[in-house]
Amino acid sequence: MTAEPRVGTETAVEVHDLVKEFRAPGGGRLRAVDGVSFTVRRGEVFGFLGPNGAGKTTTLEIIEGLQSPTAGRTSVLGFDSLRDRERMKERIGVQLQAGAYFDFLTLEEILDLFGSFYPKRVAPEVLLEKVGLLEKRRALVRELSGGQAQRFSIVASMVNDPDVVFLDEPTTGLDPQARRNLWEFVRFINAEEGKTVVLTTHYMEEAEVLCDRVAIIDHGQIKALDTPIGLIHQLPAAYRIRFATHDSVDEGELRTLPGVSEVDVSLNGGFAYELRVSRAPVTLPAFVGWAERRGVQVDDVRVLPATLEDVFLSLTGRSLRE
Amino acid sequence: MAKLTFASIRMLYRDKQALFWAMAFPVIFTVVFGLFDFTDSPEARFGVVAERPTPVSEALRKGLREIDSFTVERRGDLAAARADVEDGELDVVLVVPSEAGAPAPGRSAAVTAYYNEGNVDVNQFALDAVTRIVDGLNLQLAGVTAPAIDLRQRGLDGRTVEYYDFLLPGLVAMGVMNFSIIGMSVAIARFREQRILKRILATPLRPVKFLSAQVLARLLLSLVQAALILAVGVVLFGAQIYGNVVWLFVLATLANLVFLNIGFAVAGRASNADAAQGIGNAVAIPMMFLSGVFFPTDTLPGAVQAVVKYLPLTPLIEAMRKVSIEGLSIADTGPQLLLLGAWVAISFAIAGRAFRFAKV
Repeated sequence: MTAEPRVGTETAVEVHDLVKEFRAPGGGRLRAVDGVSFTVRRGEVFGFLGPNGAGKTTTLEIIEGLQSPTAGRTSVLGFDSLRDRERMKERIGVQLQAGAYFDFLTLEEILDLFGSFYPKRVAPEVLLEKVGLLEKRRALVRELSGGQAQRFSIVASMVNDPDVVFLDEPTTGLDPQARRNLWEFVRFINAEEGKTVVLTTHYMEEAEVLCDRVAIIDHGQIKALDTPIGLIHQLPAAYRIRFATHDSVDEGELRTLPGVSEVDVSLNGGFAYELRVSRAPVTLPAFVGWAERRGVQVDDVRVLPATLEDVFLSLTGRSLRE
Repeated sequence: MAKLTFASIRMLYRDKQALFWAMAFPVIFTVVFGLFDFTDSPEARFGVVAERPTPVSEALRKGLREIDSFTVERRGDLAAARADVEDGELDVVLVVPSEAGAPAPGRSAAVTAYYNEGNVDVNQFALDAVTRIVDGLNLQLAGVTAPAIDLRQRGLDGRTVEYYDFLLPGLVAMGVMNFSIIGMSVAIARFREQRILKRILATPLRPVKFLSAQVLARLLLSLVQAALILAVGVVLFGAQIYGNVVWLFVLATLANLVFLNIGFAVAGRASNADAAQGIGNAVAIPMMFLSGVFFPTDTLPGAVQAVVKYLPLTPLIEAMRKVSIEGLSIADTGPQLLLLGAWVAISFAIAGRAFRFAKV
């Protein structure tokens, strides 16, 4: 491919002070998106991480021109999502959350039909080949497995060879293997085909593995936006040290070790401890020294990096899965 | 646009369940009604009880036997014959007393007919025949050989219109209505459920083109459906169409625009495909029974008629019958065309208000 860096400096998506209100069922107004601003660069994989109802899909659909905002502006590749909607649509690919395709057309026919809506199009066989569904080209969507259907739905959003692809919860409901296959495919269209990818997910692993940058969104607001590593390093305790002992030890002493912010104990046959620490390389030698001095027999020491789950917890006080 | 229309037709064709209700169901109606013979006189079995054969009893037996579908037997015992009527072995027992054997002018004699009231389909026809024979005998006895007034029945244009000829245009109209109101509303509601409408909206295709292709596909398939019903009626069951068949298709297509608009309106109100099916049926079924598919609307109470004549199915059926039974041209169906035209405009406005393509 090209020698240029994968992520460029041009802007792919721009969102400015976006607000979306809905009429609430009991009267009054519900703010689904509450002042969201961010920029996605060309070539990036950008992720929205947040629980259901956080405002991810609404934000995405406003950018795609499917819903109109209450306030604020969005644009894709310099085309305003409202005013230049028609030209923008030619350059983007949209996969809807839990979206289906026609029940009674074959994969090939669906791609051919959707291709006919665009001035620029990719042949159905080329698309199906990419996701390993060429031999299924005469099948109906309902004859596919969950993973196959999801791969088809992504490739169906690429009939126009778009520059920016929007994927709304692309792996929800898939088994771990199918999910990994899909991640591979998203990486492929990003790295090999140079497509900018904007996706939403409520799987922190997906955001961590797939995204160059992640926006953590809750109650319609962006709580943090950075690379996955950058988000984790914002945490006061970016690592966990887990170990087990035969006898109980003094938690107060553990707390005095350098960099330790929190100590958890759980009884699990013996005693299991978890230290939340800011920098493992500083705490670990001190911990080993303390154990030798005290003659504490330590089993099974593990150093774990914090995850986006921890980031989400520290930012919102709630778990992603609630 | 052609590709989209073709794809829409393909979808309709492959949806076998929907296709059954659209195509096979009205055709089954056409076949079932075709199997009934509405013109044949009902079979009736007569028993004649007379102590001895008299001119009257013999005249009755001879007269009844002239009607092909009647059988006549002589019976001796009245009680046994009456029991047979109750059991359904006989339909009518006629008792001719001896004193009625050789009636003379100025002397009246009674012939009694026993019949089973539950036997509604036979009674009227059988008793009418008896009455006619008795009337004839009376005239003869009164010495009237050439009746003063002779009734001659002659249809105009030499057309004989049977119930099936009356029914067939109704069945075509019913088929087109159901296919469009229920079929369209369910299809669109399902597209929305599956987020296909939203997915279309994310492409540069204009929504109106997508909907137009759907409408076009259904207009075309409705013509196939109408042709199929007419062909089954005419070819298999000998139905008569006196007017130009082309006008029937033109009328069906015009009314179909109304039904498709109603389909869109229903899809706009329904939250999912099942609800669309329910609402669609609630709209279509009353029209099917009230607007004269099976019976002339004249048989309805006046107040109901006043409402029914403005339902969109009614002018369609009326106009189709004018063409098909009366052999008139579409130019002679002015009032019906006017009403249908008004319905096209009204239903379009209703659909426009109720249906939102982009509704989430």
